[in-house]
Amino acid sequence: MEQEVIDAELVLPVHLSFKKIQMYEKFPKGQSRGRHWKHLKQIIQAENYQNYPADEPNYVNIESPPSMHPNKKICDITGYEAPYHDPRTKLRYANTEVFKQIRSLPNEYVQSYLALRNAAVVLR
Amino acid sequence: MPFISQIQRQSDYHRFPPSVPIVIDNGASYFRIGWAGESEPRIIFRNIVQRPRHKTTGETVTIVGDHDTALLKYFDCTRSGPRSAFDADVVFQFEIMEYILDFAFDRLGADGSEINHPVLITECPCNPVQSRSKMAELLFETYGVPSVAFGIAAAFTYKYNQKRGICDRDGLVICSGFSTSHVIPFVNGEPVYEACCRTNVGGYHVTDYLKQLLSLKYPQHMSRLTWEKVEDLKMEHCYIAQDYALEVGLFQKGTKEAEEKNRCWQLSWTPAPVELPPSEEEIAKKAALRERQGQRLREMAEAKRSSKINELENELNGLEFLLQQLQHVVEEDIASFLSTTGYVSKQEIESAIVKTTQSLRKAKGEQIENEEKADTPDAEKYNLINVDDSMLTPEQFKEKKRQLFLKTTSDGRHRARQKRMDEESQREKQNKLEEAKRLENPEAYLEQLRAKYTDLLDKIEQKKRLKTNGGNTNGNGVSGGVGRGERLSAAQKERMRLLTTAAFDRGKGEDTFGIRDEDWQLYKLMSKDNDDDDEKQDEDETELSRISSRLRDIDPTFIPKTDVGSSVSEAPRPRPLTKEDFQIILGVERFRCPEILFNPNIIGIDQAGLDEMAGISIRRLPSKVKDTEEGMTNSILITGGSCLYPGMSERLESGIRMIRPCGTSIRINKASDPILDAWRGAAAYAAAVQFSQQTIKKMDYYEKGEDWLRKYQFRYT
Repeated sequence: MEQEVIDAELVLPVHLSFKKIQMYEKFPKGQSRGRHWKHLKQIIQAENYQNYPADEPNYVNIESPPSMHPNKKICDITGYEAPYHDPRTKLRYANTEVFKQIRSLPNEYVQSYLALRNAAVVLR
Repeated sequence: MPFISQIQRQSDYHRFPPSVPIVIDNGASYFRIGWAGESEPRIIFRNIVQRPRHKTTGETVTIVGDHDTALLKYFDCTRSGPRSAFDADVVFQFEIMEYILDFAFDRLGADGSEINHPVLITECPCNPVQSRSKMAELLFETYGVPSVAFGIAAAFTYKYNQKRGICDRDGLVICSGFSTSHVIPFVNGEPVYEACCRTNVGGYHVTDYLKQLLSLKYPQHMSRLTWEKVEDLKMEHCYIAQDYALEVGLFQKGTKEAEEKNRCWQLSWTPAPVELPPSEEEIAKKAALRERQGQRLREMAEAKRSSKINELENELNGLEFLLQQLQHVVEEDIASFLSTTGYVSKQEIESAIVKTTQSLRKAKGEQIENEEKADTPDAEKYNLINVDDSMLTPEQFKEKKRQLFLKTTSDGRHRARQKRMDEESQREKQNKLEEAKRLENPEAYLEQLRAKYTDLLDKIEQKKRLKTNGGNTNGNGVSGGVGRGERLSAAQKERMRLLTTAAFDRGKGEDTFGIRDEDWQLYKLMSKDNDDDDEKQDEDETELSRISSRLRDIDPTFIPKTDVGSSVSEAPRPRPLTKEDFQIILGVERFRCPEILFNPNIIGIDQAGLDEMAGISIRRLPSKVKDTEEGMTNSILITGGSCLYPGMSERLESGIRMIRPCGTSIRINKASDPILDAWRGAAAYAAAVQFSQQTIKKMDYYEKGEDWLRKYQFRYT
């Protein structure tokens, strides 16, 4: 290990005195580590919030509902107000110059712009 | 960067008796840890972990927090991006959490056999019990902590500011964090969780949106737009517009105000070195060099030629000598004499002589007189052709066939040459005509030529379009899928017809295509269809290129159209890169990105924005506290890293005014220090006497189990 790395104390030491169980004991070398951590969705599912009264606040309860205000349509490329939308690429645009630009975009860019809006075509 | 990590190892761990709690603010962006009762956390670092491999030793090491990137060059960071223990604002990756806690306690100076202090750690509102219990388990079992307490960061901030007099006992806290934003109402000093409201939009999403917008706009600078750099840009330049539509209108009209609002980031750029036109002496030098090289080549060719000539002459001499010798030798001995030389008969020697003389003459550069061959009187050569078949012996018959063959080939060659010469003379005549036309009336001639050019161009374009089915002017159009009602070109129709006839079920129940070899000729037919078209097109294209070259020669204003078949998007003409190419301009993006906090629909998240959330939260208040509703908006506190945008308070105020009844008093206060206040509030609480009653002891945790843990809530008064 290079000297300056040691000096900067960049790396976490392997053995720490205040720990009762060290990391290398928990995860011996060669074992796959941590693939079994449950993601949030799985945690929520496992919580079984249906079994508890509905008016008790829990993680799912307190989430905000969809917005009541009408959606503001803004142009995908420039950010201006966009009253129009292109039927072929499904992008929103503000005026004719932007439209010309949209029609000349290669496909990856179109999909990236749509992905910004969570509207891209996802093939799984 | 306003947030600086402090990771100096503290040396006074032992000064604190075991009763002093350690206070941890476990945020999705930063991790803050310190002692209770103090006003600043001791250690602050970014809540991420990297596990790269060391380049030379190959071992995998753990690096916590953000570090000077210069030191990371010793490690191979390709497979290890920074990882966070959080998913939204819930901790789910406890292995990473353990690394982080290791690092934090280590830097705090801990070195006993276990952490002997109670710990107060923050979590998100309504944290799922699993996450809470795993955290407790980690602290109790791995670190030996005697007791643990969980609190909510936003609540600590509110109480801390309440003590400072910035907000009242009843009020609203709007906390806009890294990955989520919460609105929590307070009644009588306690948070009301039933009315709490959470949207999954935070500073991370704003930065990500800005990064993607800039990357799409400036793809050539994508490598410079790292996440950290974009975060810096966001913190420095982004603001919240009072009214998005108005602001955007300014930019769209291109007013001067809009110009001023544009911020420009100039990347470092070196101008390309100007190439001086090669000076006189350079040209002369290059010419001399080329001369010398040419000279050398010529000499080599000369040498080769002369050596070849010598060889051939020697051979010729030898052969003639042999012939002479042969004349002196007696008939009977010819065979034996010749066997030593390798030639079987006199004729062979003679033909060999003829061949060598010919090649010698060729080498010497004299005309190959194939005319001579033709001149050898036809009558002699083809003497047998006119003779009738029946009168010939078998050998003579063979001879006759050979002569016939020779004659036809030489005749054919004649004819071809004649035709070529005719064509050339014709073309010459035509060119002369055109030249004459041009000289007498240049304008009209030019017009004619241009008209012809455009006609041809159109014709070719049309043909191409027909072929590709009117299809891809846009790279993202789907090209001719059949069966969607699209019109097929002639070629495609033909192909379909062939395929359907081949696939036609002849009623025997079994597909017999391919049993006979002739079936596969079908595919040749299909591709041949295309070939025919190509041939015709070649003619037009050659004509086109001829005309365009003529035009280029004589017409100074003619610009040849680039290849018609290529994509419509014109490649920008290669020109020297200027300063402007290396500028990244933030105009509309400055306020477009934080807008997603108020309008998450912009990035497709279907939830309410910050101002609407306040209304929802007040609406959700349980009935028994409804009377405090009017006073709620009187004391609104905004906190969290994402509340630092200029213009946030005004925008929130106008937004909330829209949804509350007319005339309610709205007062919005920013927390005194939106980032550190949570920790400070927590530290203040931990130092209080009642803190020990709020904690979960180890024994309780093991005995009472999960259900009790679920009901655990921190009391904030």
